[in-house]
Amino acid sequence: MSRNRRQWQETPGFPNTHFVDTGLYTDPTLFRDEQVNIFAKTWIIACHESELPNQFDYRTFRHPAGPELVVLRGDDGIVRSYYNICPHRGNVLVHEPAGNARKLLCIFHGWSFDCRGNCVGITRSREGYQDRFGTSDAGLREVRTEVGYGGFIWVNVDDDASPLRAFIGDALELIEPHIQEPLEVFHFHKVVVNTNFKLWHDTNSEFYHDYMHYFNRVTGMLQPGYFDRKYKPYPNGHASVGSMQVRYDKYEGGQDRSVGWPGLAPGGWVLIDLFPGMTYNLRTSVIRLDTMVPLSPNQTLIEFRGLGLKSDSPEQRASRVRDHNSIWGPFGRNLHEDLLGVRGQGSAMRDSTTGSRWVLHGREEENGIHDEVGMRHYYAEWSRRMGRLASEPFLGKNGHAS
Amino acid sequence: MSKRALVEEAIYLSLLLLDAHDFAGFLDICDPEFRYSIGAYSPEIRQEMTWLDHDKAGLRTLFENLPRHKSDRALLTRHATVYSVFWPPDAPEAKAVTSLQVYRTTLDGGETQLFAVGKIHDLLRLVDGQARLLRRDVKLTTRLLGIGSHIPF
Repeated sequence: MSRNRRQWQETPGFPNTHFVDTGLYTDPTLFRDEQVNIFAKTWIIACHESELPNQFDYRTFRHPAGPELVVLRGDDGIVRSYYNICPHRGNVLVHEPAGNARKLLCIFHGWSFDCRGNCVGITRSREGYQDRFGTSDAGLREVRTEVGYGGFIWVNVDDDASPLRAFIGDALELIEPHIQEPLEVFHFHKVVVNTNFKLWHDTNSEFYHDYMHYFNRVTGMLQPGYFDRKYKPYPNGHASVGSMQVRYDKYEGGQDRSVGWPGLAPGGWVLIDLFPGMTYNLRTSVIRLDTMVPLSPNQTLIEFRGLGLKSDSPEQRASRVRDHNSIWGPFGRNLHEDLLGVRGQGSAMRDSTTGSRWVLHGREEENGIHDEVGMRHYYAEWSRRMGRLASEPFLGKNGHAS
Repeated sequence: MSKRALVEEAIYLSLLLLDAHDFAGFLDICDPEFRYSIGAYSPEIRQEMTWLDHDKAGLRTLFENLPRHKSDRALLTRHATVYSVFWPPDAPEAKAVTSLQVYRTTLDGGETQLFAVGKIHDLLRLVDGQARLLRRDVKLTTRLLGIGSHIPF
């Protein structure tokens, strides 16, 4: 039965934990609040250690809270991160996404900085500043950096944040045994999609959308054990999905992933969603890592990485590359479909006042694979950090409309 | 017809067939030993990447599976210029480098945007007076491909 405007707008008959207001995905003020209250206070993956193998290697990263960062491996081998901003006139210091530089030289006026963030040169310093200002006043803004959980480089722009281990807790317990060997990134690509970042994370948080993936239906959903997988929520908004055996041979043209992964059962699959927007996806022979950078309420930059083992032979690596990109590359089977899905959501939700009003997270199947508990858990954390309910985000922190 | 003309005709025909989604026709002008790849260099991780890699049978399976998948229906239009053809005298095979641009046109409204640029590196074999594709390596310069594509370039 179709519905009229009033019926369409009515509050769903679920508990308020089982739906969200679509304003979450469209409102500019909430978006800015998320940058301040979530992304500026959580640990975010900037890159992987294998992207900085040598002393003085650098990699840039656009932090979701706003600042552009440069991640540097120092002369002591330690990885540090700084705002990629010259303290003089606010110019970008490093313009290329990756490289090697003993010193960072601002192209604008020639100020220079070393790998530890010290300003080591101001052109015509004494002539211009006399004794009033010098290199000791012009160091780079350093941000908290830790390397962990498979060699990923994590950054936090909150100087007072708890250590990374406190933020992750036990959330990566299913994958930690499998990431003890050094890993190496072999695939990187970016996507800019017109949708809210949470909609992409929602898609990574549920498998009900396997109906969209013919490939997943025949290799997974129609196989024994599929519905035995369970979601496990963790503190701080993280969640994991347990393993199952994927039957790649059930897809015409599919092939067994004979390379495998250390300690993982053949065809095994482990997926972990980390708040506010990263996903570890270990699927039989490769790891895929998604990181999101929200650009606006309705535009998201997603960085996709594919990883193998640093010790891979050329044949093993070639096999992993094929396994990864046949599904998750820009021409892969599944990624295009996932992006098509969230782009459609972004298109439909451009304005919550005239389009859809609610997104339902009401499926309950004892935390099984088609349960929507992953999203409910995420938005519980979102609500805690934002001080407002995801189902009524415009009531604000004091219960009044904001 | 000159050798260069034979090569150009085969390359342009291959792209017209892909534009028209005549995948069977495309495979018909491919040698049985045909291999196809799409790759790009990533300045971010400073590595060459291979995004697609299939032999002729694998490509046929990819095409046959297309109707089973959910795909963006925007039309892709390929524009190409064959820059160079190298076919030594009495050699059975020729090499060609072609500049490629791919445009994407939405079904709703018909808006066209540039989707990708790159180069096609072909190896062709002369068979019964026609040049057939023996190997095609598409090297993309563009790496930001929006939501991607199920259909190779």
